[in-house]
Amino acid sequence: MKIIPYILYLYLLAFFYSILSEIITIYGVTIDLTVLMIALIVFYKSEEAALWFSSAAAIIAATQRPSSMPWEIISLAGVAVIANQLKLRMNLESLVSRLIILGGFLLIHNIAITASISLDNFAFVFIRYIIPGTAYTLLVGWLIFFFSDNRSLLKSANEPS
Amino acid sequence: MAWFPTVSHKNRRLFKFSLIAILFLLVAFPGSTVGPFLGNLSATIFYSPFFKFRNYIESLQNVAVENSRLRNQLAQMSLQLNSLVEARRENQRLRKFIGFDAPPSFRLAPVKIVSVMQHFYPLSAIINKGKYDGIKANQTIVSPFGLVGKIKEVMPHTATVQLLTDPGNAISVRVADSRQIGIVKFSLENGMILDNLPADANVAKGDLIISSGLGGIYPSGLPVARVDSVYANQGEIFKLVKLRPAVNFFEIDELYVLVNEL
Repeated sequence: MKIIPYILYLYLLAFFYSILSEIITIYGVTIDLTVLMIALIVFYKSEEAALWFSSAAAIIAATQRPSSMPWEIISLAGVAVIANQLKLRMNLESLVSRLIILGGFLLIHNIAITASISLDNFAFVFIRYIIPGTAYTLLVGWLIFFFSDNRSLLKSANEPS
Repeated sequence: MAWFPTVSHKNRRLFKFSLIAILFLLVAFPGSTVGPFLGNLSATIFYSPFFKFRNYIESLQNVAVENSRLRNQLAQMSLQLNSLVEARRENQRLRKFIGFDAPPSFRLAPVKIVSVMQHFYPLSAIINKGKYDGIKANQTIVSPFGLVGKIKEVMPHTATVQLLTDPGNAISVRVADSRQIGIVKFSLENGMILDNLPADANVAKGDLIISSGLGGIYPSGLPVARVDSVYANQGEIFKLVKLRPAVNFFEIDELYVLVNEL
């Protein structure tokens, strides 16, 4: 397992939380980059890499609110493990199946973090922020999956048979 | 030994899960310092380059605008200051006359926001000063526009500010004109509201809401919000009063810690 790319991914997360998040937020709704990155690592790399990465990503995501760190660790490690089990048992070549799984994880992670902060007006938060945030992240995820799939297709087409 | 690789693989997985479980327990244990320590480590290693970059860009952008705004503000403030100094002298004379204690006096210590934690709305912020700069838990944080929050956690070189927009933060306040006491709370559904205000309370749109000083954390008289709308339903004991915060929590930048000089 090469470690340097993952350290760069962690810096990307810190960049997202400190600068990028504010820029790409639309009406208070932003993407959940942490879950998206963990899902990408599980789908395209290994469970081991995703597990270590999820623990480090949880610490980075909870830097500004250490009280939510345990929830981040458990929910993100859970995402890594369950995503890997689904990858082993299901055919994830289809873009739609990957997006459905990603959507499920986004909902689980956001619900866990919202619950760790406050359960007041949960239904409102769920409809106003969590669902649009999930949709926004899925759109970004769809773009990444789409370009990544097309790149591998191009690569295999260019390889000499 | 065909079984060996399988057992070894299982053991490796068990080892990984055990490490994550240990990390979880260390962080989740009540009163544990591991969470804040890891947060501080992560802030130093991963966040600090971006904080510095962001501060640099923002300072470049803001200098000219800020300079012009501050010149205007200075002119207005110096006019107000003269009348306030007079009023303070009069207040001191009258307090002495009726035997009241002197009010606490505070010094403003400037701090800079290095990061804001948002979960759909700003909840907390990290400032660039900590324990080694004399910052203590529960100190009040203000901006030039009003009350911002209080110090929640103190680390060696940084501190976490719990903003008024954190749903877990409630503050005792007064309506400045009618002196009626209530509690300001924040929820994502209603925004900032004034709670526990009796249905017959005298409050109207535009009224200034200030901290009451009750509760012992926030000093009295700090602007918190203005009344945005008032809803009084028949048969209800309390009014629902929606507020417009004095501070724009999406744009907080330079803040001040109130340091008690007594």
